[in-house]
Amino acid sequence: MENSKPDKSILELLETDVNKGFRIIVEKYSSKLYWHIRRLVILHEDADDALQNTFINAWKNIKKFRNESSMYTWLYAIATNESLAIINKRTRNSAVSLDDLGSFIANSHEGSTWFDGDEVQTKLQNAILQLPDKQRIVFNLKYFDDMPYEEMSKVLDTSVGALKASYHHAVKKIENIISNG
Amino acid sequence: MKQFKEISDKNPFKIPENYFEVVNRKIIASTMGFSSEQEKTGLYRKLRPYLAVAASVIVLIILSYTAIHIFSSGYDKSALPEITLNEFSDKYLNDIDNLTLEENAGIIEPDMAHIEFSSSDIIDYLVLENIDVNEIYERL
Repeated sequence: MENSKPDKSILELLETDVNKGFRIIVEKYSSKLYWHIRRLVILHEDADDALQNTFINAWKNIKKFRNESSMYTWLYAIATNESLAIINKRTRNSAVSLDDLGSFIANSHEGSTWFDGDEVQTKLQNAILQLPDKQRIVFNLKYFDDMPYEEMSKVLDTSVGALKASYHHAVKKIENIISNG
Repeated sequence: MKQFKEISDKNPFKIPENYFEVVNRKIIASTMGFSSEQEKTGLYRKLRPYLAVAASVIVLIILSYTAIHIFSSGYDKSALPEITLNEFSDKYLNDIDNLTLEENAGIIEPDMAHIEFSSSDIIDYLVLENIDVNEIYERL
């Protein structure tokens, strides 16, 4: 199956047939990238925009991509930046804060259509949203995507030690919020 | 952390049915289309300075040719109106002051040694000038 192609063979395919190689990249990574984006931006519509922008940026720079990092971490870095761009734009343009998931979703035009969490899940998502943006990204990448710190270091351009400390503090904060909530 | 594990088994975020099939197709279509547009734009951007120089040269050539054509036609003798000798003398000489012509031309001194006048020539001249011939006889 094409999706199971390792990165190395995809890189070789990009040299000979860039269109086919890129198609495989999209099919292999779109789901993982979408959920990473979605957990950051919350709304499906915003995640959809960010996902497409991620791949457009990747396509524009595909020829510049050299095997300095893996395709996986390279794409995650682009996706993370696209997500932060949407969050920052939303913060500038909207009076509604992302701190409270329930009210944020209720005030969005997609409403609760694409969120179907129970009370406990809503509590967890609310707790995660209390974290600063970068710490939230670290928590999500480690907890939901189980990304190794070495790869996370390339995605976020931060030292492994700083990432470990950040994740440890994030877990403590979330535990406090849930237990006090 | 165990509490987190139990919670996170269910994904609270939902997506439309067949979302990834649709979005993958959309992404592939838009990126392939973007590539060809980028190539066209890239080619145009590369050629633009050369096109600008070529256009400037063509305009200069046209302006130079036009200027040369305008100035050279001002000295074209064939542009002068044709006129016959009779028309020239009637039209132009009638307006010319004969005295001015004579002054400008200078006095012509005939060679008197070669001119012979008969008596009748002299008398005819004197009569034309209203000179009384008898007065001349008396003086002689």
